[in-house]
Formats: sequence, structure tokens, C-alpha cells
Amino acid sequence: MIFVTVLALAGLPAGAASVDAVIKDASGVPLENAVVWAMPKGEPPKVKRDAAIEQFNKTFIPLVSVVQVGTAVRFPNKDEIRHHVYSFSPARIFEIKLYAGTAAAPVVFDKPGEVVLGCNIHDHMVAYLYVVESPWFAKAGKDGMARIEGLPPGEYEIHAWHFSQGAKPEARPVKLDAGDSKASAAFSVTTRVMPPRPTAK
Amino acid sequence: MKLLLRSGTLQDRIVIFFVLLLMGVQLASFLFIRYAIEATAKNSLREELRVGARVFTRLLDQNSQQLQEGTSVLAYDYGFREAVATRDSSTILSALSNHAARVKASGMAVIGLDGMVIADTNATANSGRHYQHPELLARATLRERSSGVRIVAGKPYQVVVVPVLAPLPIAWVSMSFVIDDNAARDLQRLTNSEITFVHVAREQSELLATTLPMSRRADLARQAGVITARGGEGITVELAGEDYEVLSMPLDEARDLGLYAIIQRAGSDGLSPYLALQAALLFIAAISVAVTLAGAIRIARQITRPISRLAEAAQQIARGNYDVRVGELGQDEMGRLTRAFDSMAQGLAERDRMRDVLGKVASSEVVTQLLEGRIELGGTEVDATVLFTDLRDFTGLCESLTPQQSLLLLNEFLTTISQCVEEHGGVVDKYLGDGLMALFGAPITRPDDSHRAVEAALAIRTRVLELGPALAARGLPHPAVGVGLNTARLVAGNVGSPTRLNYTVLGDGVNLAFRLESLTKRYQVPIVAGERTREGTREGIVFRELDKVRVYGRSNPERIFEPLGRVGELSAAQMEQLARWHESLDYFRGRCWEAARVGFMHLADVRGYERLVAIYLDYIRELEADPPAEDWDASFTLSQK
Repeated sequence: MIFVTVLALAGLPAGAASVDAVIKDASGVPLENAVVWAMPKGEPPKVKRDAAIEQFNKTFIPLVSVVQVGTAVRFPNKDEIRHHVYSFSPARIFEIKLYAGTAAAPVVFDKPGEVVLGCNIHDHMVAYLYVVESPWFAKAGKDGMARIEGLPPGEYEIHAWHFSQGAKPEARPVKLDAGDSKASAAFSVTTRVMPPRPTAK
Repeated sequence: MKLLLRSGTLQDRIVIFFVLLLMGVQLASFLFIRYAIEATAKNSLREELRVGARVFTRLLDQNSQQLQEGTSVLAYDYGFREAVATRDSSTILSALSNHAARVKASGMAVIGLDGMVIADTNATANSGRHYQHPELLARATLRERSSGVRIVAGKPYQVVVVPVLAPLPIAWVSMSFVIDDNAARDLQRLTNSEITFVHVAREQSELLATTLPMSRRADLARQAGVITARGGEGITVELAGEDYEVLSMPLDEARDLGLYAIIQRAGSDGLSPYLALQAALLFIAAISVAVTLAGAIRIARQITRPISRLAEAAQQIARGNYDVRVGELGQDEMGRLTRAFDSMAQGLAERDRMRDVLGKVASSEVVTQLLEGRIELGGTEVDATVLFTDLRDFTGLCESLTPQQSLLLLNEFLTTISQCVEEHGGVVDKYLGDGLMALFGAPITRPDDSHRAVEAALAIRTRVLELGPALAARGLPHPAVGVGLNTARLVAGNVGSPTRLNYTVLGDGVNLAFRLESLTKRYQVPIVAGERTREGTREGIVFRELDKVRVYGRSNPERIFEPLGRVGELSAAQMEQLARWHESLDYFRGRCWEAARVGFMHLADVRGYERLVAIYLDYIRELEADPPAEDWDASFTLSQK
């Protein structure tokens, strides 16, 4: 089940350019939930956005989220039971002990990188949060396509990440002119073998 | 066996044969059963060993599973994960020690996803080094967890590797559990077999942990290479002198580690259920040998006892006892044999009795010829000497005796006379009242028949004389005996009918002999012999010529003689008297009556000559009164009697 809930609209110049990225694995299978983002040459602007990762039916929704550094993410619990959300990822170690409903405070992610989320009492629950420095990012659908929109003209490096990647794919430079220019970037990601995971009981 | 069978009695041989036969059969079947039992025991032992091996493998697997689960649970511990997430080596080490103690693990380590040891309770120095069992990490990556037996510092360990999930792996946890003799003993209780963990190296195999007693360990270590190479399905090895069934299993997929488990069971374990069977078999064998022994002895006796009795009886018969009988011995072959033997003995006895009876009524020579079937009706001409005897005046003597006494007396005389005849090779032909008739030269002819007849007559004369004093002592009279002898050509043969016949001789010569016997009374001499008898006598017998007699019905006169005895038995005076007698007889026959009378008169008072002189003086008186014709032959004519 895929839910696209990350919307970033405020504060971006209108009529900006976009980048279409396609992410596939080495054998050409589209990688759903791949994350792409565009890094400008200079300091990227900070864009304040809302983000939330729900727990519903003992599942994190969405599986993969991407946020800009400094974003506060909420973890609303839609289940009848409590959850104990945690992360031991170096990018952000935190836990929200058993709670119901919405936790008191959102968690702010101020370091870029991968954060793997789990629930201490439901081993099978997993979610990935990728924290990027850029405000321009997108997540691929089932077809492995992702479109980064609202980019001002300029030179960018298009990055990609997927939770199953073996190594970080090389960034692709793109140059966007003023107007409705479009660019594209294709990624072939070498995936690693994902360890077997506990299944929902 | 041959030697045994050759020696001893038939009974022993029968018994030994049957007992040896039975024992041989039993030994063969016992050995065969034992072989079958041993093979079965070995097979079932090996099968049990295989089952044991499966149980063992399963146990190890379960054990490993449990350890993995346990380790996994520990790795999920939130506090533990927090500690790992700190990346603080000493905190992690401390947490590891704590958790290892919870599950009684020998050691515990945390390894980074890069394969570098973060902390190790067994060797802090390992931090920052490559984990020593990277293959376990690799396997855990694929299967979430992994487990294997590994040797660390010379000891075997069950090593379990599980990821620390948060919720993706952030590190690995490795837990190790030592495999020692205690662990082996736990497994022994469950598998019912001896358990050994062995590390097989090229140079030397090492027993890592075992339940075997000390004494057998060295042998097992020495053969470990062979056992692990070939004992996958079970083989038999000897450990300190005892057979063991052993089976080896590699402990890990990575065989090149040389880690094996060997499970062992003593061969005697498999045989123990059959020992009772074996004892029962031996017992049955002993009983049947005993029964066979008894039976064989009994049957052998049934066979040999009648044989012994038959042999004994046959010996008795050989000794002449025909009255022996074996008796009834049942209806079998032995019974038939003994019945046949008994009727044979009876037949022999009857024949013997027959011969006995025949010998009493006929002479033994005649009986022998009769029994041999040589005698038949019809006769042959033989030259034989016939001897008649007669007890003089026996009838008169018997008047003073009872008939019983008379017969006794008669038999005494006849016995003596018969003995004399038989001792000189004569045959008693028949008894005639108080006398008998005997033959010399029939049925068997010998050249000196006449001589032996004369000798027999002399013996009769002497022996009868000798009876006198004994008879007088018993108050019995002593009759004189007269013997007549004549030799002639006679017809000898069986006279009578085919059913009843009598061997005898016929002819004039027989009658003459009878007549000569009666002449003994006239001349008062004991013996009168015919001329041919005297001629047939060898030198050495002295004869006295008695007379010349003309027997009725015969033309030629017969000279008659009296044998006096052997030369030397007579004194010189007697020989002189005999000479004078023969001289006087010659005068008489030459018609010199006077000279004859003078000669005879000289002998008138000599003993033995009185009657003869009286007879001849009578002759002379008659001849002088009535001188004889020219053809006088000096014979005396016997009247018919």
C-alpha cells in the first residue's frame, strides 16, 4: 500500500523546472519507494513542511518517507493498541515509549541520512525515513518514476537512495534553465540482499 | 570316531555313534543359530545406532535451534539494542557478559555489520578484528540466524549468530556454548549410546568430549580417522578388546573443519537379549543328549543282550549241552532269530539223542555209516572174523537170583565183553540172550582182523576171569565164558525192510563160528578158533590144536585150535607139554594108537589137558575096537545141533 503524503508547496518560485528520475535495479526492475532529491550548488533553502508516519494495522504508513533536515515528524497511532516507536540509526536515535493516539511531541530530524524505524513490541514493523538537506525531493511509484518539481534554474546534483541499495548510486548532474525546462536522470541501483524479516502475527 | 567305533562292544559302538551323531547335529545347529543371532544382533545394533544417530542429529538440531531462539530473544532485548547502539565497547561488553550469564552461554560477542568484532567476552583483544567465523555471518545474513560447531582455543563450541534487529540488522550477536563431557552425557541419556565429539586432523585426531570410559578413549582416538571416513552407515571397531558398533556424523556442513560426532554401542549390548535364548538352547541340547544316551543304551541293550545270550547258548551247544534254550524274546527280528536258534538246538538235541540211542542198539561204526547215509539195502562180500560168546550155564546160575539181579549180572558180563571187542576194533553185531555176536572186518575191513579177533578173545578170557573175585565178594556166582572164532568169506549188508533194517553178516562161516563156540563145552576150553582164523593170526600167539571136526552139511573137516596166549606168557614146562600134545596128536592121526595113548597118558594129570586126554583116550578105545577105514581122516563128526 502506497500513500504519497509528502507535499511541499509553500515558498517555491512558480513556474519552476522539474526533473524526472527513473530508478531501477541492476536487472531493470523498477524500484518503488526509491527516493531522489536535487542538491543545488549552494546552500539549499529551508522549507518548513509537515510530515507524519502513521501506525495503522500494526504497520508504519508510509513505508518510506523523505524529509528535509529539521523537519518535525509526527507518529500518530491509529491502532487500538499501543506502539513503541524507536530508531537506533545514527542519523537519529530516539524512542517514543508505548503510547496511544498522537505522541506528545513530534520528533525533529536534524541530521541527514537514513533512519530505520521499528516498533519494540512488534518486530515485523519497519519504516524508512530518509533525511535529506535539500527541500527538492520525490519518491518513486511502482513504475520506479519520480518527479522532482519546482526547481529554480541552476545546476543540481540528482541523488537517489533506496532502502535495499548495496551502495549509494552516483549523483547525476543536471542543469536547469529558466522556464519550464525539464531534465531527466536514470539510476541503476545495485541492491543488497535484505535480511529476512519477521512477519506480522 | 573311527577309533571309538572300532573299539568296545557293539552296545558301546551303537551308543557312541548315536550320541556323537546327535552332538554333531546339535553343535552344527548351535553354531548356525549363534551365527544367525550374532548377525541379527549386529544388524539390530547397527539399526539402533542409526536410529540413535537420527535422534542425536535431531537433538543437536533442536539444541541449536533453542540456542538460536534464546540468542535471538536476547538480541531483541531493547536495553541490549540500546547498548549496542551506543557503540561504546565497554558498555556493550558489560551487557554481553550479563546476557551470556542469563542463558549460561560460554561466551558472547557483538560484531558489526562490517564483520569486525565490536566486543567479545572471551577475548577483549578481539575487538576491532575480523570475526573468526565469517561463514556463520554470511549464513545468518541469508537465513536470519546461523549456528555451527567450531573449535575455539582447542575446545568445541556450539556457536550461534543472530542479527541485532532495529528493526533492520545493526550488528551481529555471536553466542557460544561449550561442548564438554557433560553435554555428551546429556546426549548419551537421550540416545542410549556413547557419544564422542572428535576433531579429526591429518596428524592426530583429538577427542573433544566423550562419554567413553578412559580405557577405551585412546583406541577410539587412534581409529577416529578410519571411523569418520567410513563409518557413515556404521562399522565395527575394537576398543580396548571389546567390539563396538560405531557410526560417525559430520557436525557441520563444512566438513573440512574435521569435526565429527561418533556414537558408539558395545557389541555385547546387542547380544544380551540373546544370552537367555542361548542358555535355553544349551539346556535343550543337554537334555536331548541325555535322553538320546539313555535311549541308545536301551535300544543297544535290546539288540546286544539277545546276541550275548545267543552267543552264550551257541558256546554251550559247542560244548555239547544241547538242552540250552534262549527262550522267548518278543515278536521282532530278534525273537525270530532266537526261536530259530531254539528249534535248531532242539533239532541238534534230537539228533544227538538219536545217535546215542542208535549207538546203544547198533555199533558206532554202523551208526556213523547209517547217519552218513552210506548204508543201503543189499550186501557185499567180505572176509571177516565172527566171534560168538556165551556164558556157560548162565540159566542155571540165574535160578538162585531175582530177574533184576540176573539182568544186572548179565549186563556186567556183556559190558566187559563188549569193551574187549571194541578195544580191539571189533563191532558188536547183536546180543543173543546171554551171549553176543561180534564182527572183525565188517563193515570196515582191516588186514589184521583175524589177529585182533584172537587178541579180543584172549582179552575176554582174561577179563571175565578177573571179574570173579569182585562178584564173589558181592555173593554172586561167576559163570565161565566160551568164545568161538571163525574167519570166512561172508555176505555183509543191511537186512530187513527200508523202514527198519539191521546190519549183519550172513554165511556158513557165521554158523561155523557159532558151532565152534558150542564146542568149548565139549573140549572144556575157553576159546575155539577155526583154521583160517589161526592162519590169519600173526606170529606171537601160541595155539593148541584141539581136533579135526566135520561139521554137519560140510564135506571138508575143519581143524580147530585154541589160542593159549602170547609167546612168553607160557612157561617152558607148558611149552614142553604143548609139544608133547602135538606129538601125541600126530601119533594118533598116524594110527599109532599105542604111541598116542602113551603120549596122551603123560598129559592126563596136567591142568587143561584132562578133558582132551579123556576124549582122545575114548577115540583110541573106539578105533581099536572098530579100526577105521582106509580113508579115515582123523576127524570127528559134529552132530547137528
